[in-house]
Parts: sequence; structure tokens; C-alpha cells
Amino acid sequence: MNPARTARTAALLAWIALAVLRFPAPVGAAGQVPAPTTVVDSLNRSVSVPGKIGRIISLEPEITRIIVALGAGDRLVGIDYFLKHHDHLFPLVFPEGLKLPLVSNQAQDLSLEEAVRLRPDVVFASPSEFRMAESIERKLAVPVVALASMGRFAGLIGEIETLGRILGREERAAELVAFFQERLRALDRSASPDPPGERPSVYLAFWNSLVRTPVSYEPVDAAGGRNAASGVLPEYLGAAGATISIETLIAWDPEVILVQGNYPPEERRVSVGTVLRDPRLASLRAVRSGRVHYTFGFWYWWDPALVLVETVYLSGLLRPGAPAGPGLVATGDAIFKEFYGVEGAFSALCRILDCHEWTAR
Amino acid sequence: MSGRRDKRTTALSVLAVVLPLALSLVALNVGAYRIPPQAVFTTVAEAVFPGGDGSGPSPYADILFRVRLPRLLLALFAGAALAVSGASLQALFRNPLVFEFSLGISNGAAFGAALSLVFLGRGFPPQPAAFVFALLAVLLVVAIAGRSASQVVTILLAGVIVSALFQALLSLVEVFANPYALQSLVFWLMGSLGQATWKDLAVTLPVIGAGVTVLILMRWRLNVLSLGEEEARSLGLDTTRDKIAVIALAALVTAAATAVMGVVSWVGLIVPHLVRMAVGADNRKVVPLSAGYGAALLLLADTIARGAAPFEIPVGILTSVVGIPFFIVLLKKSGRIWL
Amino acid sequence: MKVRVEGLEFSYGAFSLRVPGLAFAEGRLTALVGPNGAGKSTFLKCLASVIPPGRGTVFVDGRDVAGLPGRERARLVGYVPQEPASTFNYSVLDFVLTGRAAFIPVFSSPARRDDEAAREALRFVGLEDFGPRPVFALSSGERRLALIARTLAQQSAVLLLDEPTTFLDPRHETEVMELVKRLAVERGKTVVVSLHALDMALKFADDMVFMKGGAVVAAGRPDDILDEALLRSVYDIPMGLRNVDGTRIVVR
Repeated sequence: MNPARTARTAALLAWIALAVLRFPAPVGAAGQVPAPTTVVDSLNRSVSVPGKIGRIISLEPEITRIIVALGAGDRLVGIDYFLKHHDHLFPLVFPEGLKLPLVSNQAQDLSLEEAVRLRPDVVFASPSEFRMAESIERKLAVPVVALASMGRFAGLIGEIETLGRILGREERAAELVAFFQERLRALDRSASPDPPGERPSVYLAFWNSLVRTPVSYEPVDAAGGRNAASGVLPEYLGAAGATISIETLIAWDPEVILVQGNYPPEERRVSVGTVLRDPRLASLRAVRSGRVHYTFGFWYWWDPALVLVETVYLSGLLRPGAPAGPGLVATGDAIFKEFYGVEGAFSALCRILDCHEWTAR
Repeated sequence: MSGRRDKRTTALSVLAVVLPLALSLVALNVGAYRIPPQAVFTTVAEAVFPGGDGSGPSPYADILFRVRLPRLLLALFAGAALAVSGASLQALFRNPLVFEFSLGISNGAAFGAALSLVFLGRGFPPQPAAFVFALLAVLLVVAIAGRSASQVVTILLAGVIVSALFQALLSLVEVFANPYALQSLVFWLMGSLGQATWKDLAVTLPVIGAGVTVLILMRWRLNVLSLGEEEARSLGLDTTRDKIAVIALAALVTAAATAVMGVVSWVGLIVPHLVRMAVGADNRKVVPLSAGYGAALLLLADTIARGAAPFEIPVGILTSVVGIPFFIVLLKKSGRIWL
Repeated sequence: MKVRVEGLEFSYGAFSLRVPGLAFAEGRLTALVGPNGAGKSTFLKCLASVIPPGRGTVFVDGRDVAGLPGRERARLVGYVPQEPASTFNYSVLDFVLTGRAAFIPVFSSPARRDDEAAREALRFVGLEDFGPRPVFALSSGERRLALIARTLAQQSAVLLLDEPTTFLDPRHETEVMELVKRLAVERGKTVVVSLHALDMALKFADDMVFMKGGAVVAAGRPDDILDEALLRSVYDIPMGLRNVDGTRIVVR
């Protein structure tokens, strides 16, 4: 045989082998390139994504967190501004993510140059800016999927399943969903049935303000409470924040007031202390009975593990008659281990947020 | 004919006092928490003439005196401040389209207050920083407009530029603010009187009261100043000193109001203009009447903003919705009618 | 009161005004004449301290006006500009009242005596019924008179008027000049008027000052200084002086 041709063939074979080995085939695909998937996102757009996703940019912290929980964190090629600079949980569960290049600015807007440089296969965005998904898709010629839970468990679960399908991690997604739903059912079982009329009314003071509150927040409902602000804005807006007046709060006279606490104590303008000491609120039931507590709340939507822990915590708060189980910290650590495979993440978070006091049970 | 005008002026002067008072009574009764008018009356009476049964903290008293009253007072004072500052600036710059917003004062004050809130924290009152940057904004406008400061278009353009500058600087502050401070900042910028507590008002109300009083005392001087630099000087005025005084006072009261409630515009344009249409251009009448009607207007807008729905409508949006079409109409007529 | 100018100099761009020495007597009407750009307006504004001169002093009744606070200066010297610039449609009375600025402290409003001074001024110029009317409704002649009334309300001893007769029809021209002359004669004021119309100057002026190119060419009583050679040198065109029925007129 011609030595030159042999060498060329060998080189070609070697090149092919190298190419194949660089992109390991998904389980079950046996070397074939999977067909593209079509998904319907939160904006009701039908998006066709490649069957094989190796490079991901996510602009939405909630989605990034789920991707990490699904075990596909190594496919992220960039990180958004909030997670890189302001999130206390993310460094605990995925520290290597902080080393990724920054792809958005303070307003969570995508940096197009970075995106072009990083060559993602898909971009995940927030559905709250209607034009953004379209505009990114047009400019990058990369599919953009807009997802968010909108403050609903069904939304969160749907998100996990959709992401599982897109990333070829359906099994893992099913695992997480089952775990999530089982925990919620356990809460239901352990609670004594309370007729809706007796559910305590709960007011959520979120986002560092006394008058901004999410209109729909399922953890409260799942924990046996009733969101005092439900109905203030149309339901389709989900967990969007409504701004009310102090007087409306006083008129509602909630039995429980929950103050968002998942950010550093020194940044808090509204704290349990300020609520209890506010002379305008002195006549409220919640203030008089001391039922003003912290809860976790969210920035840029949920962390799937944390929201589950929050629901457990709230359940203990709002249904005091529930039988004692393992303490919240132990439960929290277990939930975080299930989602992210790290030990003691919840304890670490509690140290940062100073939440041992309020989570002590 | 002059007799009729005098009668109208008297009637409007009386109304300028009665209307804010009447609206105050209404505002005391409006709110998400239902208080029957009788209870309003008794609660207020008990507070003014103590000696009742001392039944402990009643929610009525809390609502009326800790929630509604401070808000009501802020609306009255801020409304008067914006209207009087608008009237004074219009006389001084000889331009009926000038007011605190078109001179960049509002955005300058907002920037100063934001800077203070973000970097000096909530414990430090934002009014001083607001005032400093409000003044800076006017100085910039005057510097940019230069010699043709009397021309309608030039000074408005300069105002637009300076407003845009401070708007951009404000965005810069938002960039460096952490998300926690940013939340409250963005909300405050939309303009809402609901955030003010008695602690804020302890600074704001006296400052506005003093500033507005001085401007009202200077109301006849404004007639002379409105003749222009040369003529005013030939009539014996120290125009530099007087101009600085008026601008500083207008900036002061606007900044004091803006620091507490965010950017609420157009009151300083609408009210003086309507007053001039009704009673003529003499500032002896225009300035005090503007105070009364400005107070009434802002109180009305705020009562609607908090009473119309369970959620708060930023009052700045309400005043814009009325003010912007008004401004466009004025702009179109500005060649023909100088009030 | 006598007005005396010493070493006055003012420069603006390429133009410079130089008046080494000049005096205006009280009880007399002085006409300031000369071609366009001669510096008549500028000179009047310097006299009124509306613009500060670069150099030199203006003495009124022996006092240096530059050294006086504005209030006092305004009680001595009144200045009537060419065009009243008014953005706002004040009533004539309110407009004339602004002339009282030198008498009303910053936090006060006009008192009765200010009101009376304003009405008296309106009476003098013949506008006594015009008080409540809006200024924009006046004809240009009436507006001129209102402007003069405003300066009259200042009750100053010196009156400087910048081209008060421009754009007026002959009747109004004469009215204004007669008015101004009465101020000098009846009230003993020192009146300086800048004019384009030489005829008016010749008819009414007690003294004349000819200016050209920022300098005073001649000053004195018309009988003493006026001749055709002077006219030609000032206006650059041949002009003739004629005597018609005892009055001197200028022909071109």
C-alpha cells in the first residue's frame, strides 16, 4: 500500500476518533447524533433545541440552579451577574461556577460579545422581558428558551422536567421531581386537616420593603397559610410583586407577618425588629402576638432545594401542632444533599444569613 | 370689568385656602382601612382635647395620626413647594414653560438623594445631598443656556440635557447599588408619598415651610425680576443676589420634597399656569394662590393614588398623565400667548 | 441734579466707547444724536449703570454712582429702555408699579405711597384710565408712555431715555417729546434723550451731543454748535440747515 495514503488514512481515522471522544455520546445513543427536541417555554413559544447540548448560557438564576441540580453544571459556559456577585447559596453548592466568565450586567442583560465568544448551544432566559428572548435568538442565531416557575410548584416541576428533557437528564429530573413531591405530601400527611377558614392569614414583606409583597407564593399555601395579598393583582402575574399601602396592610390585619431574610442582616431595611417596633403597626394581631418571623423568600426566582426547605420551615411555623421530626437544619442539609450532592450546605447558609435563631426548632 | 376680576380674585383666594382644608378632611376619611366619619371626628377631637377614657392604642388613632396624617401633610407641603417653586422660576427665567422638572432640578435632587441613600445609608437624611445636586443642576442649565437664557427653546433644551445627564448618573448609581438597596431605590424613584414617616417629615416640613414662606414674601420682587436682567438692574435691584436667592429657594424646597417622595412632576407647571389664566400675571396673587392650589392638587392626586385600588399607583404617574398633554398644549400655544 | 462724566471708556468686541468728559445740567433736555452704531445706547446704559463701564466715573450730584448701592442709584437715575421686554401680561398699573422697586424692600409689597406714585406717573403721561388694562393690549405708543410712566414712578432726578420716539407716528412722537420736555422744565429733572430724528432734537432740545464711532464729536447748545459742516462730518452725507418760520430744520 502506498505509505502516504496509509499515513493520511491513519491521520483521518485518528482525527475522527479524537472528534468522537471529545463529545461523548449520550447514554443509549450509541454514537448517533440525537434529533433536535421541541419544547414550549413559559412564553408559549415553540423552540427547537439541538438534541445534544454541550454549552449552556443561563441568564436566569433559577434555571442555573436547576441545571446544577440536574448534574449538568459542567456544561455551563458562563454565569450571570447576580449569581456571581450576590447570591450566597450558589457558591456553597457549585463553587466552580463562580470561575465561569460573566455573561450579563447588573440588569441581567446578556452581553452579546461574550455570548458570541462562548458559542452556546442554547440560552436560557427569563420570561419577564417579552422581547428579550426573541431579540437574543435573532442576534445570536441560537435557540433561546424562556422559563420561570412564577411562584408555583407546578411551574417549578415543569421547569425541572423540561430542562431534564432538553439536557438529556430525564432520569435525574424524574428523581428530583419525585423527591420534591414526596416531601410535600409528607408535609400534608403530618398536618392535621385544617378547614380553609382556619388557615392563618400571612403577609409577606419581601424585597427589603414593608409594602412590596408577592401576590402568589405557593410555599405559604402548601404550609397551611393563606396569602393576605392574593387577588390584589391578576393571578397570571404569578409571584410578581404588588406594592400596597401601609394602610392596606393594617386593614388586612394578618395573623402572621413574614419578612424576607435570605440576604445579609446588615443590608436589611425591614427586619423583624423594625416591624415589631413600627408604631404604625402596633395594633396588628401579628405584632401584638409576636408572630413576625423571617422566611427565605427569593431573589430572581427560586432555588429548588431552598424553596422546599422553606416550605418545611413554614409548615412548622404555621401549623405548630405538627409532630416533631428531625430539626430544620438537619432536614435542610438532607434536602440540599439530595439536590446538589453537597454536605452541610444549609447549615453553611444559615451561618451566613444568621438564620439559626429563626430556624431553631 | 375690573370689578368682576377683583371679585373673582377674592373668590379664588378664599378657595385657595378652603380647598386644601376640605380635601384634607376628605383625605382623612379615605383609605383601605374603613373608619366611619364619626369615628374620624371623635378620634381627632380626643387628640386635640385629651381627657377621654384613655382606652389604649386604638387602631383608628394609629391609622389617622401615623399613616394618613403624615401623608396628607406631605402632600400639602410638597404640592405647595412644587407650585411655588414653579411660579417663581417662571418669573425669574421669564418663561412660562420652566418649572423644577424642565430645569433639571427634579432629576438632580433625585440623583443626590439616591447617592445619599445608597452610599450613606438610610440613617443619614437624603435632603442635603438632594439640595446640593439640585443647585448644581440649575447652575449647569444656566451655564449651558448661556446668554440666550431668555429664549424659550434654549433653556428648555439645556434643561433636557441636564435632566438626561442626571438620569444617566442615576442609572450609574443603580449599577453600583447592591440588589437590596436597588429594590427600594427603584420603587422610590417612581414617586410615592407612602414611604414618608414622621421622622422624614421632621426635616422636610420645616424646610419646605420656611422656603415657601420666603418665596411668598418675595412675590412682588418677582414682578420686577421678570422684566429681565437689564431693566431690573436699572430699577435698582441687585439682580445677581436676588436671582441666586430665588433659585436656591426653589431648589431647596423641591429637593426637600423630592428626597422624601421621589420624582413627582408637572405640578410646578400646571398650577401656576392655571392660576395666571384666572387672576393675571401679578405674582402678588400668583405665588400665594399657587401654594394653595398646588397643595390641593397634589393631595387630590395622592388620595386617588392610594384610594383607587388596593395597590399603590405611583402618584408621579398620575401627575404625568395629566401634565404631559398639558405641556404639549402649552408648548404649541407658547408663540401666541404669554401669560 | 447735575450729571458729570469723567474718563468713561467701554469696549465690546471691536467697538469701543470713549467719553473723556461731559456734563448734563438739570432742568434741561439734552438730545444725544448720531448715526447707527455711534454708541448712543451704550453710552446711556453706562450712564444708567445698566452696564458697568470699563473705566471712568459717572457723577450724579457729585456722587460716584458706581459706588452707590442699586437702590440709591435707582432713586437718582432712571433709565427708559428702547423696548420693554415683557414676557408676562401684567396690568398697566402693576407694570408701572415695578418702577418703585428701589423703594420696596425685598420681602415687602407696594404700600399706598407706591400706589400713589404709580398713579401719579400714569396721570402725568396721560394714561390715568389705563391702570387695569393688560400691557399687551396697548398700542406701541401707549406702551412707550407706560414705560416712561414706570421710570417716572421711580421719582429719580435724572432721566435717561433710549430712543423713545422710534417707530412712533408723528403725533405720538410729538406727544412723547413734549412730555419729556415738561419733565425737564416743570420738574427740573436732568433729561437725556437719544434720538434719530434730528427734527425732534432741534425742536425740543436745550443741549445737543453729537456722537460718532464711539466718541463725542460736539456738545453744546444747538445755536452754538450746529452747522452744516458738523452734520456732514457726523452723518457722512451732505445735509442742509434751513430756517423756516423761525424754526431750524434739517434737509437732505
